[in-house]
Amino acid sequence: MTAAALLQSVLASLPEILVITGACILLILGEFVRKGQEHLLVWASIAVVLSAALATLLLAGEVRPAYTGMFVADRFAVFFKFVFYLATILTFLLSRKYADIEGIGSSEYYVLLLFTLSGMMIMASATDLLSIYVGLELMVLCTYVLTGFLRKERRSNEAALKYVILGAVSTGIFLYGVSLVYGLTGTTQLNAMAQAVTGDRLDPGLLLAVVFIVAGLVFKIGAVPFHMWVPDVYEGAPTTVTAFMSVGPKAAGFAVILRVFLNPLVAASDAWIVVAVIAVVTMALGSFVALVQDNFKRLLAYSSIAHAGFAILGVVAGGEDGIASVMFYLLIYAFMNLGIFGAVIMMRNGNSSGEVIDDYAGFAKPHPVLALLMLLYLFSLAGIPPTAGFFAKFYVLSALVERGFVALAVIAVLLSAVAAYFYIRVVMVIYMREPQRVFEPALTPSVRATLAFTAAGTIGIGLFPAWFLRLAHSSVFGG
Amino acid sequence: MSVPLLSLIVLLPAAGAVVLMFLRSEDAVRWTALGITGLDLALSIVMLVGFDTTTHEMQFTERRPWVPALGITYALGVDGISALFVFLTALLGSTSVLASWTAIESKVKEFMISLLVMQALMLGVFCALDLFLFYVFWEAMLIPMYLIIGVWGGDGRVYAAFKFFLYTLAGSLLFLIGVIVLYFQGGETFDILALTAQDLPFPVQSWLFFAFLIAFAVKVPMVPVHTWLPDAHVQAPTAGSIILAGVLLKMGAYGFLRFSLPMLPEASVYFSTLMLMLSALAIVYGGLLALAQDDLKKLVAYSSISHMGFVTLGIFALNLRGLQGSILQMFNHGVTTGALFLFVGLIYERTHSRSIADYGGLMKVAPVYTSFLALFTLSSMALPGTNSFVGELLVLSGGFAANLALGAAAVLGALLSAAYLLGMYRRVALGPATVGARYKIRDVNAREMVAILPLALFVLWVGLYPKPFLEIIDASVKHLLVQVHGKEGSQ
Repeated sequence: MTAAALLQSVLASLPEILVITGACILLILGEFVRKGQEHLLVWASIAVVLSAALATLLLAGEVRPAYTGMFVADRFAVFFKFVFYLATILTFLLSRKYADIEGIGSSEYYVLLLFTLSGMMIMASATDLLSIYVGLELMVLCTYVLTGFLRKERRSNEAALKYVILGAVSTGIFLYGVSLVYGLTGTTQLNAMAQAVTGDRLDPGLLLAVVFIVAGLVFKIGAVPFHMWVPDVYEGAPTTVTAFMSVGPKAAGFAVILRVFLNPLVAASDAWIVVAVIAVVTMALGSFVALVQDNFKRLLAYSSIAHAGFAILGVVAGGEDGIASVMFYLLIYAFMNLGIFGAVIMMRNGNSSGEVIDDYAGFAKPHPVLALLMLLYLFSLAGIPPTAGFFAKFYVLSALVERGFVALAVIAVLLSAVAAYFYIRVVMVIYMREPQRVFEPALTPSVRATLAFTAAGTIGIGLFPAWFLRLAHSSVFGG
Repeated sequence: MSVPLLSLIVLLPAAGAVVLMFLRSEDAVRWTALGITGLDLALSIVMLVGFDTTTHEMQFTERRPWVPALGITYALGVDGISALFVFLTALLGSTSVLASWTAIESKVKEFMISLLVMQALMLGVFCALDLFLFYVFWEAMLIPMYLIIGVWGGDGRVYAAFKFFLYTLAGSLLFLIGVIVLYFQGGETFDILALTAQDLPFPVQSWLFFAFLIAFAVKVPMVPVHTWLPDAHVQAPTAGSIILAGVLLKMGAYGFLRFSLPMLPEASVYFSTLMLMLSALAIVYGGLLALAQDDLKKLVAYSSISHMGFVTLGIFALNLRGLQGSILQMFNHGVTTGALFLFVGLIYERTHSRSIADYGGLMKVAPVYTSFLALFTLSSMALPGTNSFVGELLVLSGGFAANLALGAAAVLGALLSAAYLLGMYRRVALGPATVGARYKIRDVNAREMVAILPLALFVLWVGLYPKPFLEIIDASVKHLLVQVHGKEGSQ
């Protein structure tokens, strides 16, 4: 590698370098932060993310391939990186008070989140199965630890252990798929793979490799049949980490899936049938199981499974519109899901966990504004206009119908009617029950800011989707 | 015209809802809500006065790009069919505020906000000229209506609110798929007028017809997807019932007139007999159910099913008198049934009982109340001289022209309506004054009178001199018939 190429590579991956360097510095400096000064950590972490965001923005002008084709900084990656930045910053803002209450506010918590972020960023930019693997592992290793961060709680420990074991198996499957691809084509680069195949595209070995890779990736977004970890991990992990995982790592998983599916090798095979089945089963399972949940975090876990299923439909549709619809969906999902999790996090105060749905009974009476915000997020998750959630679903559906998958679209809307039931059931508890006891939500200025920002996004994108839609569209083939 | 009149009409209640959020006193909330709905009514009258009855073209049109990438525009406009409903919605808006003045005791501000948001969305549905915009308005109505029923309703409100929400949502979602299919079949546009001009192949039309039918039939409601209506009506607060019966039910029928007939003419003609049968079934079945009710609200609710059967019968008769009659009858039903729900609400406020068996001899304690009740009861059973007579007569004559047997079934329904309505009136108002002994009942006060009088005015006006109303819809109905039959080439 020449010096010029190396410089070019470093430049292209500058945001990642910034985040990792910042995380390392914070790891050292974190030792010197005195008790009561933890908020400095939050602001320093946010500053790291913002500097990375600035670098990303400055470099966004052109496509920059780097590290001999293993990495690329294109507009597709930029779009996803901004979703990650959004999720990370909002998680930092939500964490401050929550971390205090739970006693997890040490510097490792913030550093691990930053490392997770860097892993996700590498995933979004990776164009080689191996660099995908590196990003993926960096991301999941950090989330394993974060899941178990409530050291004294059994649930948290159990969730982390479960997550590690299942995650390791899925990574193994993914790696096996990668090795098969390498054996068959002699390369792991996504672009070179398709050209290397000269013979039968339906070669069973190749098909097996694709299935293994897909299986490994599907695990990360929590789709059926690799969804078993999601409810336990979401319930056991600290709520801030759950909020983060439901948005960031999931989007990163989708970024990789889209990259792999953009690849003509996969597009030419009949893998879309497998993916369509996965999508439908995932939606069905998420929607129906969520109906009987009493724990809010578990309900949101199943809801996130159902949403993953809906977004996969956009992958099935494929094409420019299909990919743009997935990206658009993930952006909107980030806003509404962080919003609803923000509400759950704020309810963690004193001796209340904020996790039992019945605890929210009559919440609208003492806190009309907060209840209205929750109503907004829940209706958005249910996909009722004029919220952004409706537009997200609409765009996926229109991509499906455009490709002629009308039957899939019909199944999707029927299942989302089922899903609407459990969202409005929560609205019912908030608005139509009598209050059982008094709740004092832990409202700090930063939580307020998060809720206001996510609400603005949820309603704003719903009313004025044009600009965001153009953004998603131009990011698809920008690279 | 440079003033965006329709946008003003649609957005005024929404802006009013925002203003209400900052008010503290409950009285200020009530007066502001009344002022806004009153102003909205005035604007809609301005619209009607400026309405040109000689053309079927859309009037007061506005068009702004919304999501250009998908061809979605913010387009508003009214023709003869929608103008009447815009007015009806605005009229019932102020009636609802007056009806909730004292009936709503808790969370007055939140209630009035929901009511105004609802008002804005309903007006939006009738004004929208873009299919996507229409759908957004149509579906967004679920949120305030769910809250109105579920928060301020009766004892079984939660169940009723859920049922209402899920029925309507399930219907609407298939409609959404229909809308998207139509978008791609019709040249990637959501413009209602452009889509109307498309000539779709028959198989596509049939599929879309049924996708639309599910959504509209739930809203109307047609038998057998009517079961949400009695629950929702009984549990909803008075204002909710007025809005449901007066406006929401009209949206299903409006959907038939605006989408099914002009966009899917061949399928509409092909399936018209099926639709006529479902309508006749609703007329008779709704009437029979109403006959068996003891709960006043349930009785009016089932009578609504029967009366909306007349409306769909008129629409799918697919001839001039049927269509004219059904549109006029929708307006009449909004006024009359809205008034009946208002009256049930008024008496419920005084006695907290809706059971007919609890009443009797109301005439002696509340003479003004019972006289007006008589007027609206007679109007509901379509006595000559009242508004419904004109509408029902037109529908029946159109229905007979289309299908003799089903027309005859509809006449049976009209007989039934006389039976249950007169029976109800006799048991409530006439006889010995048993009710006076149990409850202390005061007659209507000035505020209630203000709510009643405009409705009574329209009962008599349409009944005695329907010409101006028929003139408004005339050109648009004729154009609609050309769209249905002209394309098919049979007439």
